[in-house]
Amino acid sequence: MKDLMNAVIQMDEQSAIKQTEKLLADGKSAMEILDTYREALSQIGTLFERGECFLPELILSGEMLKTASEKLKPFIQKSVDAEKRGRVVVGTVQGDVHDIGKDIVVLLLDASGYEVMDVGVDVSAETFTTAVQEFMPQVLGLSGLLSSAYGQMKGTIELLNRKNLRSDLKIMIGGGQMSDSIRIYTGADAFGNNAVAAVRLCDDWIEEGQII
Amino acid sequence: MTEHLKNEKLYHARIKRVMDVVALRKPDRVPIATMSDYFFVTSQGVNCKEAMYDPDKMKKAYTKSAGEYNLDMCGTPSSIFSGPLMDVMDVSAFSWPGATKESNRLPNNCTIQYQDKEYLMSDECDDFLKDPTDFTLRKLIPRMSSSLSDLSNIPISIRTMSMPYTILRLLPMMSLLLQDLGTKLKIAGGELERAQSAQNTLKADLKSIGYPTTYHFGIMSPFDWVADFLRGMKGTMLDMYRQPDKLKALVDVFEQTVTELIDAAIEMYQLDRVGIPLHWGAAGFMSDQQYAEFYWPQLKRLFLHLIEKNITPMPLYEGNYTPRLKYLAELPPGKIAGHYDTVDRQQHKDILSGITCFWGDVPKALLITGTTEQVKDYVKELIDDFPDGDLIIDGDASGIPVESKKENVMAMIETVDEYGKY
Repeated sequence: MKDLMNAVIQMDEQSAIKQTEKLLADGKSAMEILDTYREALSQIGTLFERGECFLPELILSGEMLKTASEKLKPFIQKSVDAEKRGRVVVGTVQGDVHDIGKDIVVLLLDASGYEVMDVGVDVSAETFTTAVQEFMPQVLGLSGLLSSAYGQMKGTIELLNRKNLRSDLKIMIGGGQMSDSIRIYTGADAFGNNAVAAVRLCDDWIEEGQII
Repeated sequence: MTEHLKNEKLYHARIKRVMDVVALRKPDRVPIATMSDYFFVTSQGVNCKEAMYDPDKMKKAYTKSAGEYNLDMCGTPSSIFSGPLMDVMDVSAFSWPGATKESNRLPNNCTIQYQDKEYLMSDECDDFLKDPTDFTLRKLIPRMSSSLSDLSNIPISIRTMSMPYTILRLLPMMSLLLQDLGTKLKIAGGELERAQSAQNTLKADLKSIGYPTTYHFGIMSPFDWVADFLRGMKGTMLDMYRQPDKLKALVDVFEQTVTELIDAAIEMYQLDRVGIPLHWGAAGFMSDQQYAEFYWPQLKRLFLHLIEKNITPMPLYEGNYTPRLKYLAELPPGKIAGHYDTVDRQQHKDILSGITCFWGDVPKALLITGTTEQVKDYVKELIDDFPDGDLIIDGDASGIPVESKKENVMAMIETVDEYGKY
């Protein structure tokens, strides 16, 4: 498993595929192999936060995980779904069609063991509200790149408040232009400037017992 | 002095104020020059859709704003595209307010947005590199504009038309294949003419009341051209590992393309300042090593080419540019006007003092959600940080956002008037 971990962290895609095939042939459990990928991605996330790793590495490691997941899918029992860490709804707010940050958040949350509902881009407050009512997530992630996103995030959160959907729901806002003043303005619980921060926030909320 | 002469004098004085800062000469006061465009329209109660679809309303609002805000340079209105033209061309790469096609339509108050997509697939890079012009014509353009999808009907490379026999056979055959295209382009041509006429009148109107605009021509950096319009973000980031040589070759092709474009524009217009929005070079998007390998060499040569032609590059450094300041130190002093989004001001002073001015960076969050007092404090601090006259003030990122509170924008302007004299 150590060789696989190193291959992923060193961005050696071919070696990671070979290691995965070898481990499977040696009788290692598919779940254990997948967990190694997830652990590698978590370490890459930490390196990203430290400024030692960047977008190409996040994307490539995500692709490596995707390839491995496809390969390992036939060997993984369905009961694994029950072990998800929590449910998260993620989308880009209305009037904003940027999906880059949102897609990486979805990928990393999924890799970190969360069940994620991706509601897409240019999503209205009403659609977010319906998704929260139907999917019953512990966390809602509102993504946005543009300054127009501030007002949309605020409006979405206000609608959720009016519908009394906030009591068991944490809301994080994300995008390169988010700040604490925008968090306060929108009424969100937390903000993040990159995809790794979104995973970190969900993990922290779980560890602190703030979401169950 | 007549009104006309007075305004002409003001026009040149405003340009001088900004360009003195760029040349690292202390002006009479801190200039405000903005990259904003839509704010000039929306702050007069005209929404973004109207700005794109009603040129008369757009012009009127823009001119009114210019007089009201009294900035040293207004944003360039050229980036307010014509909605009817975009509808006719059906450019799938963009979403905009009021688009006829629902899949491209944004709410009326949103500005135009680019949709990140992979137009050139990873396994097509060799084909593109073999013949970029032919690939662009027969593959890329039809993918980017469904109105031009007929171009994909051209059955054979354009190179095959380089002899009289093929001219006689293939060209007439193509005219049959491309009949619809001719009709659409004719309509598009009319819309373009209408849009350009509105833009030219607006620029002349602004000039007649004494207001210059920041730049008249915008271009992409070679890397961003590839990442934004060919390979998409994901494709480009993966190329850095999976096919780095092909990525470099693509960037090289577009370095040559950008240079050709600039040289052609020099022939057509009187270019003095050129805007260059930079998308993928900021911190987080790539490592320093990757920046040095894939991004900077071509960008630096682009800057130097413009400077050689006596044109001032106006790069918009989107995102956090702090780690890249050391590269900017390689540029000749007093020749570039770099507009910042997020940057460590102290590091800018330490690394770039005496090389390039600072342009920015009143945060959009402050202009949208802050109080007038907070804006005033921020602007004063900014002015205090640059006592040597190497400061131009604007909002961060792309300037003043459309959602800004008008009183906050006025507070920014008034503080510069009161506190920014040298």
